[in-house]
Amino acid sequence: MAHEEVHHGHHEVSMWPVGVGLGALFGVLAFTAFFQWQMPFLAVIFGGLTVVCLLGGLAGWVNEFFTTGHDEKHGKIAIVFFVASEVIVFGTMFAAFWRAWVFNSHEWANWVPQEMNLLMPVILTLILWASSGAIVLAERAIEHGNVGAYNKWLLITIVLGTLFVILHVMEWIHLWESGFTLSSNMYGTAFYMLTGFHTSHVLVGLIAMLYLLWIGLSGKIDETKTTAVVATGFYWHFVDVVWMFVATNAYFVGSIPALAGGH
Amino acid sequence: MREAIPTGVPYFGASLKEWIFTTDHKKIGILYLVTSILFFVVGGLFALGMRLELTSPGLQFWSPEFYNYLLTGHGAIMLLWWAIGAPTGGFGNFLLPLMIGARDVAFPRLNALSWWAYFGASVLVLITLIPGNHIKMMWTGYPPYALNNDAGNLALYVFIIHLLGVSSIAGAVNFLTTVIRMRAKGLSYWKLPIFVHSIITANVIQILGVPSLAGAVTMDLFDKYLGTAFFDPARGGDPLLYQHVFWFYSHPAVYVMLLPPVAIAGEVISAMAKNRFFGYKAYVIAQWGVVVLGFIVWTHHMFVTATADWLKIIQSITTMMITVPVGIIVLASTLTLFKGALKFNTATWFALGTIFMILPGGLTGIPNGMLGIDYGLSDSYWIAGHFHFVLAMIITFGIFAGLYYWFPKFTGRLAYSDGLGSLGFFVMFMGAMLIFGMQLIAGLHGMPRRYVDYPPIPELITAHHWMTVGAFIFALGVLITFINLILGMVKGEKADANPWGSPSLEWWTASPPAPHNFDKLPEVDEEWHPYNYKKA
Repeated sequence: MAHEEVHHGHHEVSMWPVGVGLGALFGVLAFTAFFQWQMPFLAVIFGGLTVVCLLGGLAGWVNEFFTTGHDEKHGKIAIVFFVASEVIVFGTMFAAFWRAWVFNSHEWANWVPQEMNLLMPVILTLILWASSGAIVLAERAIEHGNVGAYNKWLLITIVLGTLFVILHVMEWIHLWESGFTLSSNMYGTAFYMLTGFHTSHVLVGLIAMLYLLWIGLSGKIDETKTTAVVATGFYWHFVDVVWMFVATNAYFVGSIPALAGGH
Repeated sequence: MREAIPTGVPYFGASLKEWIFTTDHKKIGILYLVTSILFFVVGGLFALGMRLELTSPGLQFWSPEFYNYLLTGHGAIMLLWWAIGAPTGGFGNFLLPLMIGARDVAFPRLNALSWWAYFGASVLVLITLIPGNHIKMMWTGYPPYALNNDAGNLALYVFIIHLLGVSSIAGAVNFLTTVIRMRAKGLSYWKLPIFVHSIITANVIQILGVPSLAGAVTMDLFDKYLGTAFFDPARGGDPLLYQHVFWFYSHPAVYVMLLPPVAIAGEVISAMAKNRFFGYKAYVIAQWGVVVLGFIVWTHHMFVTATADWLKIIQSITTMMITVPVGIIVLASTLTLFKGALKFNTATWFALGTIFMILPGGLTGIPNGMLGIDYGLSDSYWIAGHFHFVLAMIITFGIFAGLYYWFPKFTGRLAYSDGLGSLGFFVMFMGAMLIFGMQLIAGLHGMPRRYVDYPPIPELITAHHWMTVGAFIFALGVLITFINLILGMVKGEKADANPWGSPSLEWWTASPPAPHNFDKLPEVDEEWHPYNYKKA
């Protein structure tokens, strides 16, 4: 089982990883320039380079894989390992939330804003569930070689994911304007970090799906190269599952005084 | 723009373009090794700078602020570039596919990205050399000090960790997938070389640990620049949270650094003694024991904090338990010599030195793990001596053992001179015993860690004098070793394809290997084992 015929019969070079790597470097330099060096103009330049290098590098990478690469079907197992590491990253934010919630039970209730809307997480959950279903249908379609249905379901997933982000950002703006901000107290910090960190993952998923849609629309995908779709689908389900933990804690555990131990 | 390049091109004759855009695991491994060796020199110069200052009491050379930068830079560079970069990134990349009989890793392009993220972090470290950008928060980056402007450019520190984290996680995903999916026909789990097992276990720690460190430093970043409340008690935050999240990775990280060099030493001992690996399966199980226990001992870095006693007591016990798997690893490596015909050359000396250093390093760790004793030893030079024996010495000797042992594989030549090589080893060994032995003694005399200055107490002055002498002796040994390796690359004898007569798969192909590694993918039978010298 362990034996796979591999197809690296010659030494291969690729310029795209360099682009993505430099994009990451420029990105962190942009942050450093803006916040530490206080040089906004330099930050803008680095930011521009980041966008060009990252998006261009990824586009070239994806295109190269779908035009000349071989699908070795390693993607599924790799994404499982990657998601395992993501679980730990979220774990650190949950650790911060729970530690603060336990240690500040005497005053936590004072931190909960009146404007906290507990219907919103339910709506957002339903949207994500629907999108998780849509991507399953996209996966099935491409495994049967049905590129048209694949494009359709992928587009629906992207629309639902985008709707999630828009509603969530509106909710943040509403709360932020009511005075509940990232720096108000540990509830504010944990609330925005948990939900913001989750939304950043939604955005990563959306970007991945936009690339996959581009590959689908340009006709470069077929039923032999499905690993990227399967991996993105798995990642998207993970984002969905994590959302349920994020929503339960950031909204319900965080804002129901009886749970928070407030008086 | 991926192009096929004819396989006949000589390995070192590759063009600059090929090196920059390469996705070949061997070239990427060489890039990692060269980068980590360059940074080893930088980190070493930082250490010599500190030793100069500390030779006598009072301030002679540097301001306290610059000393803090040397201290931070030395720790961060040695741990992240030398101790993780060289064994895992360098040896792991070059050897893992060869040892499992594969043509490359599972994701060659992702592998290139790993190196470019590592490169990005290297650029950030070089930026910290610019005045005004020094990082002075110690490699641990504890709040609230790290958030203070006196601690230097926090953004650079955090992003160094982030980029290295990207590199480590991408590398770990890649290596684990490669081992699971691309092993040669017949190569079962219990036939993998010890070094491959160490790369597996180290990378499992990376996947489960690095994100925790990334989360910790992200909280630092957000607290300083975006005003979050993670570490501000006035708003419900807690600085101790950082230490928990930080050490949840950074203790297991010790084993990411340790397991591969110790395994390298084991490979060398087995090959040079032409002997089976004693207790092979026990060794592998012990590695997993280290991984599991390694994740439940982090509080021993926090014994002097106000952490709950029950947690400290539990983790004091688990810390003691780590001696069991580590003991198995030491015994297995040592008993591999039993009834072997040991060939004494430079690689052997470094390998024996690696295993030897587990004794002073490990034995001085046991008292620190005991709560009551640690209250007295914590943050003293005793701790510095302990972790330098463990980390600095085991890792440096392990890496040099590997460089000498696989030198023919990397370059196609034998190392230049065993005499010069062994001299390099013994000079380094003596220097190390002097520095770190004296650190233990100074610690017992009450010398605290990290200070730029100390009171003129005769015992401390003597200890510090000898530490500085030892540091320069050690540096001389490193210099001799590098001269020997460079001479070997230029003038060394041409090596046979399998100069040590090892049955392991990395020797089944030419040295250095062709870009595609194997003309025909290897297959192994029931009888074959990487340490079965009877059959070979």
